[in-house]
Amino acid sequence: MPNDFPRDFLGISLAEQPSKYYFIIKMYRIVLEADVSIQMIMEKLQSYRSRVALYFEGSQYQLGDFRLRVGKVVLTHSENLRGIVMEVEYLPISSMEKARKVMGEFLEICREALSKRSLPGQFMYVEPNFGEFGLSDNYSPQHTAVQYAFVMAHMIATVQAVQSVRN
Amino acid sequence: MQQLQPSPLLPQQSPETATNQPDSAGGAAEAPPKQVARAMERLNQAARVIADIRLGADRLLEAMFIAAQPHQSDKPLQIFFKEDASIRQHLRDLRSIGKKLEESGVLTESLRSRSNSWGLHMPLVCPDGAVVAYAWKRQLAGQAGASAVDRTRLALKAFTDQKRRFFPHLDDGLKVEPASKKLCASKLLPEHGPDELSECKTLSDMQSRLEKLVPDMKVSTYGRLNWLERANSLPVSASEDSTEASKPIFQSSSKLRSGFQQTEVDDDKVAVIELYFPSVFRAVVSVNPAGSVDPDAVAFFSPDEGGSYIHARGFSVHHVFRRITEHASTALQYFLGLDNETALYSLLQWICSYETLFSKPCSKCGKLLAMDKKSALVLPPVHRVYRELPTVVTKTREQNLDMEAYHVGCFPDCS
Repeated sequence: MPNDFPRDFLGISLAEQPSKYYFIIKMYRIVLEADVSIQMIMEKLQSYRSRVALYFEGSQYQLGDFRLRVGKVVLTHSENLRGIVMEVEYLPISSMEKARKVMGEFLEICREALSKRSLPGQFMYVEPNFGEFGLSDNYSPQHTAVQYAFVMAHMIATVQAVQSVRN
Repeated sequence: MQQLQPSPLLPQQSPETATNQPDSAGGAAEAPPKQVARAMERLNQAARVIADIRLGADRLLEAMFIAAQPHQSDKPLQIFFKEDASIRQHLRDLRSIGKKLEESGVLTESLRSRSNSWGLHMPLVCPDGAVVAYAWKRQLAGQAGASAVDRTRLALKAFTDQKRRFFPHLDDGLKVEPASKKLCASKLLPEHGPDELSECKTLSDMQSRLEKLVPDMKVSTYGRLNWLERANSLPVSASEDSTEASKPIFQSSSKLRSGFQQTEVDDDKVAVIELYFPSVFRAVVSVNPAGSVDPDAVAFFSPDEGGSYIHARGFSVHHVFRRITEHASTALQYFLGLDNETALYSLLQWICSYETLFSKPCSKCGKLLAMDKKSALVLPPVHRVYRELPTVVTKTREQNLDMEAYHVGCFPDCS
């Protein structure tokens, strides 16, 4: 039996897709959309159990054609703030290439506005290579799931880095 | 010796009979105007009765004066009796009018705050005897006059606003205008300008020419009903439509869609022209009457929008495309005003300049996004210059239709 099969995966629920559940195996660049009842099946089969769960929750705003979601990141059953996440969506078009410049400038505007507030920390954005996951230029919920996978990985990495500095 | 004649101003009927009409308690069941009219009538009656009383008092004094003179008959005494009876009667009348007025709230402020008064107030008799009745009368008449003036003012304002929006080039008194127009004209001396436009008389000519000019675009024509079917079957992206139920339908309709594009519509039935720039926008132009080349409406939509509201007079749900639609209506009016025959082709060419909507920065500020202060929206440059268009385009044929782009706030006033 080969040992190089992945032992864990990421499961993502998105509020705007209540009937769907997304699986991601980052290492193998796999993203899968399934029905939300898969969670019940897994529970009944006892084939997988949850090791750690993060909640991203907050408020949604609309500035013209831009939809913003700003929320805090906490572990389940905990009030400790792990981080702050912000989603920016440009609603009129769904081609990522065509919207690249618009999104870039909007983020610049946001960054500028935030820098005037002298808040600690700043927003980090790393764009995943969607093509590797088999995703097209047209934005979809799978793209969102992949982005969250990267966000989670990034957050875990920074937490570990801070911990190692402390130790 | 004079005898005072009885005044001819005595009321025809006695006040009692005048008010002997069906009268519910204090006139509560009557409409406010009737109540007010009745109150005014009673006040007038009261004034007449008071005048009568005064006259009677004068007569009494006269009689006394006469009686004071020596050698008088009993005439003054008769006058006394007569006037005494008459004045007592008048006083009784006055008392009853007063009671009625009191009931109807004229002598007190009790009815002032009544909500169902239609904005009218009962006349009020102040303690010093002044009657405050004319205030409402004047108000009514004033209201009628004021509303007519207001309505005219509003109509004028609406007209000027519409004119400014749709026909800005008709504004008189813009000092810079003539100079800039001349500048643009002298810059371009097209050798083949008129020829190109005259070649594009039919819709299919325009279609083929545009498709050559702008390879990324798809031009399709439809009859009016065909367009409605197509609009309803347009696939909607996940972010536009979150209802799960509608998703299965779109799988089959995408096959339908390719079928639509194949069906040939006779040129004389074409009423709707669609310009589709994949991933950028979809523009819908309607021509009226069907089969002609006279455009009458234009609208822009997101490439992911679908539904029966997608037509030349509809509005996108997205702000950016709504703004462009408004600007396009103005441009359409300009092209129609310039030259009716080439208006459609000019409009279609101008629409193609929006291919760079999300990539070409504003020619004034150099940025792609800018905040429009009036509406607090962040928008890309939604303005494309449409003046002096036909001649400009022929010159830059090799480079794509490259109009100057501006943000809403950056648009220079003279062009």
